Amino acid sequence: MSKRRNSKNVLFISAIVLILSTLLLGCTNESKENSTSNKDSKDMLTMAWPRDIGEMNPHVYNPSQLFATSMIYEPLVSYQDGGKLKPHLAESWEISKDGKEYTFNLRQDVKFSDGTSFNAEIVKKNFDTILKNVDLHSWLGFITKVDQTEVIDQNTFKLTLKEPYYPTIQELAVVRPVRFLGDAGFPKDGDTSKGVTKPVGTGPWVLEEYKADEYAIFKRNENYWGELPKVKKIKVKIIPDAETRVLAFEKGDLDLIYGEGAISLDAFKQLETTGNYQTSISDPVATRQLVMNTKKEQLSDLRVRQALQYGFNKKAMVDGVTSGLEEKADFILPTNFPYTSDIDVKQIDYDVEKAKALLDDAGWKLPKGKTVREKDGKPLEIELMYDSAESIQKAMAETLQSEWAALGVKLNIVGVELTVQIERFKANDFELNFFSNYGAPYDPHTFVNVVGSEGFGFNEAISSYPNRDELLKQIADVPRTTDEKERQELYSTILESLQDQGAIVPISYIKKIAVYQKDVSNFTFPANRDEHPFTGISIEK
Amino acid sequence: MGTYILKRIMAIIPIFLLATLLTFGMIHLSPVDPAEAYLSAAHIQSTDEILAQKRHEFGLDQPLHVQYVNSIIKICQFDFGISYVSNKPVWDEVTYRMPATIQLALGSIILAILVSVPLGFLAGIKKNSGIDHFSRLLSFFGASIPSFWLGYLLIFFFSVKLDLFPVEGIGTWQHLVLPSVTLAMPLIALYTRLLRASVLENLQEPYILFARTRGIHEKVIMGKHVLRIAISPMITGLGMNLGKLLTGTIIVEAVFSWPGFGRYFIEAIFNRDVPVIQCYVLLAAGLFIISNLIVDLIQMYIDPRISRKGGQRQ
Repeated sequence: MSKRRNSKNVLFISAIVLILSTLLLGCTNESKENSTSNKDSKDMLTMAWPRDIGEMNPHVYNPSQLFATSMIYEPLVSYQDGGKLKPHLAESWEISKDGKEYTFNLRQDVKFSDGTSFNAEIVKKNFDTILKNVDLHSWLGFITKVDQTEVIDQNTFKLTLKEPYYPTIQELAVVRPVRFLGDAGFPKDGDTSKGVTKPVGTGPWVLEEYKADEYAIFKRNENYWGELPKVKKIKVKIIPDAETRVLAFEKGDLDLIYGEGAISLDAFKQLETTGNYQTSISDPVATRQLVMNTKKEQLSDLRVRQALQYGFNKKAMVDGVTSGLEEKADFILPTNFPYTSDIDVKQIDYDVEKAKALLDDAGWKLPKGKTVREKDGKPLEIELMYDSAESIQKAMAETLQSEWAALGVKLNIVGVELTVQIERFKANDFELNFFSNYGAPYDPHTFVNVVGSEGFGFNEAISSYPNRDELLKQIADVPRTTDEKERQELYSTILESLQDQGAIVPISYIKKIAVYQKDVSNFTFPANRDEHPFTGISIEK
Repeated sequence: MGTYILKRIMAIIPIFLLATLLTFGMIHLSPVDPAEAYLSAAHIQSTDEILAQKRHEFGLDQPLHVQYVNSIIKICQFDFGISYVSNKPVWDEVTYRMPATIQLALGSIILAILVSVPLGFLAGIKKNSGIDHFSRLLSFFGASIPSFWLGYLLIFFFSVKLDLFPVEGIGTWQHLVLPSVTLAMPLIALYTRLLRASVLENLQEPYILFARTRGIHEKVIMGKHVLRIAISPMITGLGMNLGKLLTGTIIVEAVFSWPGFGRYFIEAIFNRDVPVIQCYVLLAAGLFIISNLIVDLIQMYIDPRISRKGGQRQ
């Protein structure tokens, strides 16, 4: 009987093996078919993005992804390398002498993707819709200053401000909310803040197919007025996990991965060293900064702030933590932004002895047999807050902790969620914090504005600066200046003062990365941090 | 039997109310103000006036008990509010993503049953044989390896190296294989060991000896007696894991870019999208409760003594 039982079992197991192998065989054939069909589409560039592209509403924020919005919708003015502002949907513009009236001459050969004309009427309609929700867009300085929108004629549009505000042109280059939706995209009640009927824009791409959380396919807008993109289609696969993105890229399912923090630094280095792919790194898009709250007693003394700067090897830390993908920063804003290249600040190099001397000088002495400095019996203890989900901030915080321990400074590092980090910063409830500026096309004016405004953290953090009131006045004056030379001088003074007084320490310049297959060519990073990089890109398969 | 079922169903109500109370408390004890979270998700600069207006809109300015009762009424109507991020009704967003998650959960349960029932059974009746050692090894592996790591390994070998399956996405049944295996692995480990132990235990029972002495065919003994009884603890385990499975898809969905509601939930956490978090927690609670009920009913069907006990107490 046992023999018979054995043979039955053998039969049973063989049956399972047979079924499973048949299934596997089936998979092999079909998946091969799938992968060939993927690679067959010569004119389609496939890339991955961590989040769903969203609703493609040019007038609201979450969840629409900026790069995708910029594929469909266009601005009046576009931001180019070095902060140059070039005509886009507006062929030219005139600014009145008092800096309040902006007259735009619109490009005449532009049509929306549904064939309707782009003209001053639709520009006004978009502006008026945006202005209905001023609160929603008040972060963009010029929005709150708009007094009037007018159609002068079919191709001329005029914007009147309540007071002069020089960054207006620069702010018109942002990806949202001031881009133009075609008439057919407006909902019945005209209120786009609750949704759009369909994504109709003038841009080089049209959304062809979209499945939420899965993928989006953009096809080339054959009637585009400008330079026609080289590839016919862009497929954006939504892959939330960075490691999976790398694996999909290695398999050949993706042609391109790009962005800030799109994949881990290790993965980038590893892909680079294989030599099988092309990689590139952008110019600085922002500066990683360390903000010191001078309201806190220990940090109110300039000597302590300077000692902390002398006390760590910035270059070694940046190279070590970011594997050289970020670059040591000498200025609080990258110098490839407007008005930032002419800043003269005192460079603080790594000098432990000087740091110790400064601390001694400030009264923080190291008692015998102790490791932490004290003043009036109080130990020199500081807290650094970082975003616990951000590996770079965490590693930098740990490096600072050990570097400063050698000076006799006890650094307590506290990892918090991003929302908590922002809230505590705004409530001025921090001692040291990481921050990074907004990038192109927002800076330098947005960064300077944030420093000058109450309730963002900076204004309060610099409260012990002796020249604080003067600084705040200069910050308030900058956007109102109509004289270019005066504006440059103001920016230089403000940025020099902010940095020399040591409350805002530049650490490194943040850069974007891109990895692409060898058959992809002409990849360049857009000058505008939020724009798409697809127009010139081509692919040969 | 009818009263037993009714009693069990009635017991759901207080448990569910407790779950809603816990969720409600959790959200109100959190340091993040929902109105603030809404504004930051929408990129709106929070001034005191806008905050007050939003608090009023969300009903956050009302006494806590009123807020709680209102939320219960809304939940009964499947109204979980509007997502802070997408501005769409949460229930619509969740039901849109639910089928993908259910598909994945079902796929892995079926796979877990298909593998663990024969494997556990054979390991039990052939103690210390090759297949027993194999089942032990597989269980050890399945129970100890983290899901995300297993997911990456599977993608690396079966997608990147062997090109057998797609790396990510959804659509064909091939897309389902790797995520299902990843999700099923811990279940396979658990059920195989559970069934093996149960088979071994039952083989010691006098009724087996009795059946053998009566000359009943070994196949019948194994199939009709041992397996049927031994499988009972496994069903309990399965039921307890059903809810866990649906919530456990979170990691697997992220690794395989599976467009289910687990992934949606992760994004909601990052965005502090309170209505979505609330909906998810309540759904998970509901799933745990209902799956446990179903298991109990199946158990009752297999072993009628359970309902009789319930009936006798009446």
